[in-house]
Amino acid sequence: MQSRLLYDIIGLALFAGVILFGVPALFGYDGFELNTFSRYLSLAIVSMALALSWGTAGLLNLGQAATFGMGSYAMAMHLKLKASGDNLPDFMSWNNVEALPLIWAPFHSLTFTLLAGLLIPAAVGGLIAIFMFRARIAGVFVAVITLAFLVAFQLVVIEQQGLTGGQNGLTGLAPLVLFGWSVDIYSLSFYYLVGACLMIALVFGLYLTHSKFGLILRAIREDSERTRYFGYNVANYQTIIFSISAGLAGWAGMLYALVLEFASPTYMSVSFSLAIVIWCAVGGRESVLAAAVGAILVNLAEGRLSDVFVEGWHLLLGVLFLMVVMFMPRGIYGVIVDAGRAMRRKPVSKKEAQPFETSLNPKRES
Amino acid sequence: MSQLEVRDLHVTFGGLRAVDGMNFDVEQGEILCLLGPNGAGKSTTLDLICGKTQPTGGSIRFQNLEISQMWEFERARLGIGRKFQVPSVYKELTVAENLSVARSVKPGIWHALTSLPVRNSAKMREILDLVGLADKIGEPAGNLSHGETQWLEIAMLIAQDSRLILMDEPTAGMTIQETDRTARIFRSLKANHTLIVVEHDMSFVRTVADRIIVMNQGSKLAEGSIQEIESNEAVKTAYLGH
Amino acid sequence: MDVVLNQAFAGLSMASILLIIALGLAIIYGTMGVINLAHGEFVMLGAYTTWALQNHAGLGVVTALPLVFVAVAAVGWIIEKVIVQRLYTRPLDTILATWGIGIILQQAVRLGVGAESRFVRGPQWLSGNIEIGALVMSNYRIFVISFSLAILVVTWLLMTRTEFGMKLRAVIQNRGISECYGIEAKKVYSVTFAYGAGLAGIAGALITPLFSTIPTMGTGLVVDAFLVVIVGGLGSLMGTAAAALLIGEVTAIFSIVINDTLGRIAVLAGIILLIRFRPRGLFPSDIRR
Ligand SMILES: Nc1ncnc2c1ncn2[C@@H]1O[C@H](COP(=O)(O)OP(=O)(O)OP(=O)(O)O)[C@@H](O)[C@H]1O
Ligand SMILES: [Mg+2]
Repeated sequence: MQSRLLYDIIGLALFAGVILFGVPALFGYDGFELNTFSRYLSLAIVSMALALSWGTAGLLNLGQAATFGMGSYAMAMHLKLKASGDNLPDFMSWNNVEALPLIWAPFHSLTFTLLAGLLIPAAVGGLIAIFMFRARIAGVFVAVITLAFLVAFQLVVIEQQGLTGGQNGLTGLAPLVLFGWSVDIYSLSFYYLVGACLMIALVFGLYLTHSKFGLILRAIREDSERTRYFGYNVANYQTIIFSISAGLAGWAGMLYALVLEFASPTYMSVSFSLAIVIWCAVGGRESVLAAAVGAILVNLAEGRLSDVFVEGWHLLLGVLFLMVVMFMPRGIYGVIVDAGRAMRRKPVSKKEAQPFETSLNPKRES
Repeated sequence: MSQLEVRDLHVTFGGLRAVDGMNFDVEQGEILCLLGPNGAGKSTTLDLICGKTQPTGGSIRFQNLEISQMWEFERARLGIGRKFQVPSVYKELTVAENLSVARSVKPGIWHALTSLPVRNSAKMREILDLVGLADKIGEPAGNLSHGETQWLEIAMLIAQDSRLILMDEPTAGMTIQETDRTARIFRSLKANHTLIVVEHDMSFVRTVADRIIVMNQGSKLAEGSIQEIESNEAVKTAYLGH
Repeated sequence: MDVVLNQAFAGLSMASILLIIALGLAIIYGTMGVINLAHGEFVMLGAYTTWALQNHAGLGVVTALPLVFVAVAAVGWIIEKVIVQRLYTRPLDTILATWGIGIILQQAVRLGVGAESRFVRGPQWLSGNIEIGALVMSNYRIFVISFSLAILVVTWLLMTRTEFGMKLRAVIQNRGISECYGIEAKKVYSVTFAYGAGLAGIAGALITPLFSTIPTMGTGLVVDAFLVVIVGGLGSLMGTAAAALLIGEVTAIFSIVINDTLGRIAVLAGIILLIRFRPRGLFPSDIRR
């Protein structure tokens, strides 16, 4: 079983090689292409974050876009302040806001911004998690609560125009200045910055899934009830992974706002949240690496194919997703694992080849 | 002072008195067998002790501590382990991983975050040898047969190393040889553990039991040694249903 | 006061639409444990079918109802046969699969019919209003309310008074044993899914004169309907009815007392709290679990 760790390390090394050397070379260091790819890499982070909570612990978080959005707004607030100089951000004056709101003030500081973009989503995720898991909410109800939270949160953001820029979001941002380096989002350095963030997130994610913590989460995913009788405080385990996943999503959001140079409530839409689920499912929710690859592949396909099938792209995506759910429930990852096992000529056990099930209700033993 | 003291324990499920005024003590290091016809409330009694079910009344004291209001995981940390009637192992995890989860000396998150799961230790091999699953260490538990699954859950409880182990029908689905082996394991466990065993197999009970409690309709019908129980008229009536 | 009364009436008509949608969802969930996220698209299909029937065959909304029911039920039946049936052992995956189906249906309509809104005329004979003091009630909305009550009664009778209902309840309680007695669970599931889809189609037809018909119209509705099901207690018809009334009215009243957005946020927050503290809903039923 140590081999699983080995395969993951090999996989990660290959992936890192492709992302760090292959991609820039392939696209001739073209600034526009690199920027597009930086976008995919930041989305890969949010996808791998979902794999942590959904794939490892069985907690389907349909509100992942909310914490992603929080991160993006944190970054955008900092850059908006920078762009506005000593003046009030433009949209505030349009909305008759006279003085800089209190929660905006600390975002002058870059350190605060970076911490906030990571820790606020993590804290919010943690609170939602405590709220749900203390009451032993599980299965589809987790999906429903997180979805309802997402919808409500997006409504609040749109409603609070003076604070958030409402429907338009935060636009007209200044470039980020990092240790005196004014970040050019079309440069190779920026691409490597995002790439490095993704690699750190992946190493962290792989460590988590291979640690005893990851093992206990898998046990909880399969039978949370049983796990309690071994002395594990299941709610705490679920809360921690949920919070970590939310924090990573926030981090991804910060990068995303940098790449696109604006933050918008569409980042917190239901369809965006569900898109994250698609990427994660296509790649394979059991592996953080696969989920990251899934995000990159689907977005790459979207980038290339949506030019060809301008209108039909979403239809194609729907069909692809349905096919994956039905015939490849473990995603590309599952296909590779099964193929690898078949090559080693070990008989594939039926039970194991099946997807894991998350039961709607706890099993009842007598 | 006994290790476990159960006093006037009650639970009702929508009018059905599944456990109705149970009183008993369990001494450190003994094997207590719970007998009774189907639906007598044996599993429910174990559920109440391990925290799966909340009592409607009464008290449960473990090592002089009132545990009836504690969470399941807190009771487990105090040293109460449970094997369920329907074998409950993690089918998607390997045998080794199942044992690794069960081995929960430090169940805290920090410890889990800073350590790798044990996949193959001398202790683990020793336990697997004992239950005859040594060559299945890397198999997913879902591939095991019913009997092997029972063994695995027993192995998990040995790995968990609880002071008080609650076994619900551990030999169901086992062959005679396997049952004998279980009996031997149970007797060797006695040195450091207390066991409450629910069983229907009388020959097994005869070999392992230090003491027997017979339940019927949620309450204690008789208590005593195997000889006392076998000659008890009330027990015969309950089983034959007169 | 007048505003509140009129708003309450509007809430009632919204509640009755929600009821029809949620009934379909609740039956499907209660029977096979499938959360059908494509349900909103069934509503949308119903609306487009009505629009097509009016434009190409000159049928009125009310006349079109039976045809719409049959058409959308047929779509539901096919989807159940081809896709959902394969996923019964994977409940969490059915959420994803039905959501995929929803995207496909929505995009197919967008490509086939176009993204612009379509309008359907309400029936002429229901065009007037009834006024009681300051309360103005449009005849069409009164019709919608009565029709939804009729559907509730019919569904209830179907579940409790017919042989199919008996089989259905048997399958819900224990699929394995029911099959031993010769009930074909698969067939029961298909019919149930088709019926639920058909109901969604009817809801879609009924709202065409009230809202504009666009490919995305189902998305918002399914969220609300889904919440109704959860609040009502999974698998309980009367609970669903009560919850539809509650959510429809609360949304309507909140939207004038506070404002639309905050009203909606308050309802969502209430729902989150409800699931947290009463996960089996306000009116849990005993039939499932
Ligand atoms: N969670 C529950 N809800 C409702 N009734 C229950 C529940 N658990 C047990 N019961 C009922 O309580 C009674 C006692 O059940 P229990 O499982 O304790 O019996 P048992 O002695 O273990 O029987 P068996 O030998 O068949 O395992 C039974 O009538 C059972 O149906
Ligand atoms: Mg029992």
